[in-house]
Amino acid sequence: MNVILLYLLLLKATVTSFSGLTSMPVVRHDFVENRHVLTDRELNAAVMSGRTAPGPNGLYIVSVGYFIGGIPGACAGCLAVMTPAFLIIPMLRYLGARAAQPAVKSAIRCVMIAASGLVVSATVPLARDALTSPLAIGIAVASFLFLVLTRKDTIWVVMGSAVAGLLGRLL
Amino acid sequence: MPQPSLKRLTWIFLRVGNLTFGGGDPTMAALQSELVVARRWLSAERYALIYGLARITPGTNLVAFSAAAGWQILGWMAAVLAVLAMTVPPSVAVVLLTSGYRAFNSNPLAMAAIGGMLAAASGMMASAAWQLLRPEIRVGRRLRAAVLFLASLGASLGFSMSPIVVLGLAALVGIFWRTPE
Repeated sequence: MNVILLYLLLLKATVTSFSGLTSMPVVRHDFVENRHVLTDRELNAAVMSGRTAPGPNGLYIVSVGYFIGGIPGACAGCLAVMTPAFLIIPMLRYLGARAAQPAVKSAIRCVMIAASGLVVSATVPLARDALTSPLAIGIAVASFLFLVLTRKDTIWVVMGSAVAGLLGRLL
Repeated sequence: MPQPSLKRLTWIFLRVGNLTFGGGDPTMAALQSELVVARRWLSAERYALIYGLARITPGTNLVAFSAAAGWQILGWMAAVLAVLAMTVPPSVAVVLLTSGYRAFNSNPLAMAAIGGMLAAASGMMASAAWQLLRPEIRVGRRLRAAVLFLASLGASLGFSMSPIVVLGLAALVGIFWRTPE
């Protein structure tokens, strides 16, 4: 895929989302469903890579770019993550006061709720691909509970799930 | 407010951004203790405003936060350097992790470990959805949260509606259906 087109499609995903992983439904729609240049398994691996590394979770976009277009694709992904960030500066200058208006606050809250529904909807096909054994289901449930009930780093989930998968294979 | 040098400010973003795991919230919390509490380069009020605006800026909250905090403290150059410090080194780590996934794709033991991590990703995604929804599950807001959550899930899963349309409709609902603070 052409790197500029890849950048524009990844930018579309980042610019229409309001937190790291909420761009995933758009990414899946464009690259997995429409263009067939990425598989659900690769998307899952991209999410995992993005969450394993330090920094923002939204950097899974870099991994998506890398799967599709190698190093140039990863650069396109990195650029797509950086570009929308600068929109905050004019907002900070001119719109700061309006963020407190009830209608704006309410609209943002509703967008966040809808985003949670979209994230669940994007999780379903990924889970269908990854949760193929009782052990995998157990790992997913344990990861969910660990992240919801504790404030520990996700690196512990990543390391624990890798060890559990390995032990499941060896035993 | 004391003003740092550009080099010192960039170093803070580089250090915090590349040594804090767990995504935006823990990293922004670490930046708060560095920029607001320890060094007083940013007032608590400005931090709160930037934090709130980062939530409504399209894209990744943490990257937008870094751009705004850098700009607020030392202007445009600091904004650019803060964004680069926060994204480029972790992007290299992401590429290394992804290429590791490709290289180990044919090794059964490596694939067993990766299979475990991929299963965990589903749990992580579900927890991310829960973290977005949780603040809205309180008295006076539950009905709106339930309706919007189920409607967006149904529109996406059942009707393959574009996420952009779903989010736009949700914003419209928010303007007209307000709940107590």
